[in-house]
Order: sequence, then C-alpha cells, then structure tokens
Amino acid sequence: MISCINLKKNYRSGHGQKQVLKGIDFAIAPGDRVGLLGRNGAGKSTLIKLIGGVEMPTSGKVHRGMTCSWPLCFHGGFQGSLTGYDNARFIARIYGRDYATMRQFVEDFTELGRQLRTPVKTYSSGMRARLAFALSLAIEFDCYLIDEVIMVGDANFQAKCHYELFEKRKDRAILIASHSTESIREFCKRTVVLNDGHMTEFDNVEEGLATYQAL
Amino acid sequence: MERALRAWRIQQRVIVALMIRELTTRFGRENIGFLWIMAEPLLFATLVGVMYSYLIGDQEHGVGVIAFVASGYIPLTVMRNAFGRCVNIFVANGSLLYHRQVRVLDFVIVRFMIEMIGGMMAYLVIGTIFVYLNIFPVPAHIGYLLAGWFLYMLFAFSVCLVIAPASETSEVLEKLLPVTVYIAIPLSGTFNMVSWLTPKAREVVHWSPFVNGMEMMRYGLFGDAVRPYFDVTVPLVASAATAVVGLAMCRRIRRTLIVE
Repeated sequence: MISCINLKKNYRSGHGQKQVLKGIDFAIAPGDRVGLLGRNGAGKSTLIKLIGGVEMPTSGKVHRGMTCSWPLCFHGGFQGSLTGYDNARFIARIYGRDYATMRQFVEDFTELGRQLRTPVKTYSSGMRARLAFALSLAIEFDCYLIDEVIMVGDANFQAKCHYELFEKRKDRAILIASHSTESIREFCKRTVVLNDGHMTEFDNVEEGLATYQAL
Repeated sequence: MERALRAWRIQQRVIVALMIRELTTRFGRENIGFLWIMAEPLLFATLVGVMYSYLIGDQEHGVGVIAFVASGYIPLTVMRNAFGRCVNIFVANGSLLYHRQVRVLDFVIVRFMIEMIGGMMAYLVIGTIFVYLNIFPVPAHIGYLLAGWFLYMLFAFSVCLVIAPASETSEVLEKLLPVTVYIAIPLSGTFNMVSWLTPKAREVVHWSPFVNGMEMMRYGLFGDAVRPYFDVTVPLVASAATAVVGLAMCRRIRRTLIVE
C-alpha cells in the first residue's frame, strides 16, 4: 500500500508561491491500476515525483508500504553523458542487483543492440522509454510510476510492455499519467482526475475519462 | 540497529556507484583514465616548487623550498578544487535523485573524496620521486602528517557542506568563491610556518583551522627542523560547528529542490 496523506506542494513563482497540489489524499493498493488524468500543468508529474520521492512535499506525507519504482519519464533517472550500458551498471549497483542478469534483460527487452554503447543523450524518446522500462522491470518493483513515457513506444514496444506488465506481473500496481485515452483504457482499472490542485477519484475508467474530457 | 546497518550498506553501495560514475564521466576510459585526478595537484606542486626554488633558493628557514612548497600546495589544490566542485552540485546531479536511495549528501561526499584521494595519490607520487632525488625528507612522524592531513580535510569538507546548499540559493556565491579562496591563501598556511610570523600575526592565523592542520603536517614531515604551533581543538570545533550548519542547510534545500 502506498498512501498520500494531505499532500501539498508549493513552487516559487516570482515573489509569490504557487500551490500546485492543495491537499491530496490518495492510496494505491497492491495490484491497483490507476490512470492519472489532468490538463497540462495540473500537477500530474508533481504528484508522481512526490510519490516517487524525487521531490519533497511542502506538507503532508507519503507512506510507502511496498516498493515503488522511480518515476519513468523522458529525462529523469539517467545520466545523459553515460552510455546505456553504463546507466544499467550504475542502476544495478545502487539497487544491489547482479549486472550480468540485468544486462541480459536490458539487451533483450530494449532491442537497442549497439546503440546501448552510445550516450543516452543521443537516444530518441522511444529509445529512452525502452531503456527506462527495461531497467525498472529488471529490478522488480511492487508499484510502477509511469509519467507519459509509455505512449511514445512503437507497436512492438507496446506489446512487450503489455506482456511484461499485464501477463507476467499481474499482481503489481501501476500509476500512469497520460493524455492518451487509449492507453488509459488499455492499462487501467480506475482513474483519478487532478484539477486545480484537487483530486477526484473514479472507480470506473469511462467516468474519469468523461470528466477529464469535459475540463 | 538492524535498520541502521542496512541503511549504511545501501549508502555505501550508492557512494561507490556514484564514485565510479563520476570518474567515468569526468575522465573517460581513454589513456590514463582516472589517474588524471592526481595530475593537477602533481603538476601544480612540482612546477610551483621548482619556480620558488629559483626565486628564493634551495633552502628557506632551514627546510628545502621544493619540499616546503609541494607539501603546502597539494592540500591547497584539494581544498580549492573541492570548493569549486561543490558549486551547484545538487541541480547538476538532479537526474540521479530519481533514485530514492541517492541522497544529496552523497554528491558532496563523492566529489570531496575524489579530490582528496587525488591529492593523496599526488602526495605519495611526489614524495616518492623527490625522496629518491634527495629534495624531499622522509616523514619524521608519519602519524602527525596523517593527522594533520585529516584535520585539514575535515574542515575543508565541512565548508563544502555549506557551499553546496548555499550555491543553490545564491548566484553571487559562485562568482565570489574563487576570489575568497585566493584571498584566504595566507590563512591556509601554504607558504609559511606560523613561527616565521610576527607574534601579532601568529595570534590571527592561530584561529585558522587550515593553519593548525598544516602545522601538524609540516611537523610530521620535517620533524624538529621546524617549530610548529598547533592546537587540534581549533580544527575539530570549527569543523563540527560548520558541519552542523551545513547539514541543516542541505536538509532544508532538499525539501524545496526542484528536480527536472
């Protein structure tokens, strides 16, 4: 179980403060599949960063009762000047995993071949998505935090993600922030909508999507 | 206890991984690779030492000029580089904060350690070659040399703990830092012993944690050829106080740090 208790986050804007999240109470149970919806700037990425522990809340708490991946997105989590292999090696080291197994999985999952020897900053967003997924799947988390990144993949990548996340890892929880109604329908069992710093939860995907589209 | 031990093991793993990463990004894998970390202090100390020996002569106050300058310059370059490396360190490494076990403090520890290890390797290489050439003494009291080195480095590290968070909030600091460090050279004991100064000046430099560490190192190196003035409580108390302030600042800045 991952619970957010009255989460608030302010950012400095000019001389004042902008409150992006105004008190979020929300929980992800094991096996939960949640779609996070909201317009640009609604605070989806901010919420994911707070849950992942990348940034700290201004007030409130995040309690992590199960292991939780780092937010999978385009820029974070990698060192752009290092190669794909070096990034894999770094992540294997800090999570205390065996590099040989990790390397094998990354090679199979990403199908990037020789590109893994070039710096990550030269990768396209689709390639980054492949690498990010490969690395976090190799570590095995109870909950995966996915910020947009899933939609940039091609059909082959989508199929692989579907297999790895829905067939092999049915019991894991995921939180996906996305604007793509298709991926939300495909991957989620319920949705939450962020608007004006507040969250509304929907047990039904379609209801959430309708609310989001009406914003 | 169990938890503390596990946390310690994780932190150890992170520090090792960050160190390897830092070395590969900074020096690459070509030619001598990470051995470059000792190149700068090595060249600086040797060249400045040789230059001084032409300006001043072989001996000053009864000790060899090259040995004296080299022994002062290596800690100075470590201190100066470590300060410079700590500027904007949190934002520059922000993408690594995606992994929860990586702490901002680890960045400071890693960069400092790399500079310090580089300095120690340079010291060892210079020492060995110069002893062989007969222009460097075999350390008279190795214990004092090491203790002095660690006191000097302890204070440098605690200052890094303040510089790193301070540089995230103030851009002025980055611009003023090189000047400040340069002005502070007389307070680092690099080019003179306390005993060479006037009593009035002695009282002032006595309060510098760097000078106390340096005096110990010089005594450890030259033995009774020099007359050291040092007091270990000055660097210890100063380091503890500075580190407490620095750690509190790191903690505060982490709460508001924006990670892209």
